[in-house]
Amino acid sequence: MSSNDKSLRIDVVDVGAIISPSDSTILNALEAADVHIHYHCREGFCGACRTKLIEGEVEYTTDPLAFIDDDEILPCCCVAKCPLKIKVPL
Amino acid sequence: MKYTTFNQQSTNPLIEPMFFGNPVNVARYDQQKHAIFEKLIEKQISFFWRPEEVDVSRDRVDFQKLTDPEKHIFISNLKYQTLLDSVQGRSPNIAFLPIISLPELETWVETWSFFETIHSRSYTHILRNLFSDPSEIFEDIVVNDEIKRRAADISKYYDDLIFATQLWQTQGEGVHTVNGVAHTINMYELKKKLYLCMNSVNALEAIRFYVSFACTFAFAERKLMEGNSKIIRLIARDENLHLSSTQHILNLWAKGKDDPEMAQIAEECKEEARAIFMNAVEQEKQWADYLFQNGSMIGLNKEILCQYVEYIANQRMSAIGLDTPFEISSNPLPWMNNYLNSDNVQVAPQESEISSYLVGQIDSAVSEDDFADFEL
Ligand code: FES
Ligand SMILES: [Fe+2]
Ligand SMILES: [Fe+2]
Repeated sequence: MSSNDKSLRIDVVDVGAIISPSDSTILNALEAADVHIHYHCREGFCGACRTKLIEGEVEYTTDPLAFIDDDEILPCCCVAKCPLKIKVPL
Repeated sequence: MKYTTFNQQSTNPLIEPMFFGNPVNVARYDQQKHAIFEKLIEKQISFFWRPEEVDVSRDRVDFQKLTDPEKHIFISNLKYQTLLDSVQGRSPNIAFLPIISLPELETWVETWSFFETIHSRSYTHILRNLFSDPSEIFEDIVVNDEIKRRAADISKYYDDLIFATQLWQTQGEGVHTVNGVAHTINMYELKKKLYLCMNSVNALEAIRFYVSFACTFAFAERKLMEGNSKIIRLIARDENLHLSSTQHILNLWAKGKDDPEMAQIAEECKEEARAIFMNAVEQEKQWADYLFQNGSMIGLNKEILCQYVEYIANQRMSAIGLDTPFEISSNPLPWMNNYLNSDNVQVAPQESEISSYLVGQIDSAVSEDDFADFEL
């Protein structure tokens, strides 16, 4: 299990880098860093937060139901497992 | 192929395509070819809600305070949504059930349609509260040109598929002349009609509601018509789930994960599918025009609404492998997100006090101990 004393770097294309607590969903981490991306459900079923994962690996905290491609993630319901590089819907 | 309500042949639903394989026989969900549909069913059922649980009585007072242009916006949107849900409450059942071959997909479509009927019933709940006799509003839906034009485009693809399926299931493949018109019925034509119909449904749920949603939530931002807004939030949550299902279907086809012939059709009909989406975008913009023809409402105007439609369209077109044709790159109405957040719908009935609001939200956490006394 991840512990919150660990922080990970997330590179957000066209925006900059943020530091995410490893137990926070990527969406929450982005918002905490004042990066506001598109969302609706925040529960993994609508796809509004669909984001390109360019580098790294994530772990889902809720089973994602929205359609995503192989290189995409739903930041509202996953946490970073390592440093990431992503492209978000602004 | 004749439709049968219980196919007596043994079939293996794990190798059937989603559509146009063997008719379903046993409604079983212990095994699934496409597990996503079973998950969508569970999610949708967990959303269960009743319009009557939402207190809309304060809206009556608010409504009297609206300006005439605002009343026009509010009522026109309700009419349009009533049309959309009238179509969606019956059409997936009638068009898709006769040609579905997977039990989990069959039940998803039935579950989906059932929720559309909740949406329809909620419009009556809203309107009954505003008018002692809402008949005039309902009757106008069938005669109002602006609404009719949209109805024609929405029902066209369903009607085409339904008619072709009926010919095929009663007369088989071939050229059938009905009322002097020859109809070529073969599997390729049927699948093509299905593909276009699915795209039209996808576009409907992807963008056709959003002009209306935006107006509703713009009223709510001003603390007006909050009962209505609460209902629309519940509807919007369901619609997002419905949209997921048609995105999955279209992608399963396009990526060759279901019926190889559908993958080919998806490739061949890409332009037509795109045109269906673009036409829906255009109609939504015209709808914004119609809404604001007598004057705007505070917090929203036609331009920003059209930008929002384009923003949402880009997002939803890319989800089904289409291009993103519009310039807009950031959300022009970021406050919309708040209203579409399902957490807000479930846990925070802030403004109006509704004690029954959480009915249906049952805690499903069950520990091992709860089963300690059970022997199977
Ligand atoms: S916000 Fe709905 S899937 Fe992430
Ligand atoms: Fe609906
Ligand atoms: Fe729907």
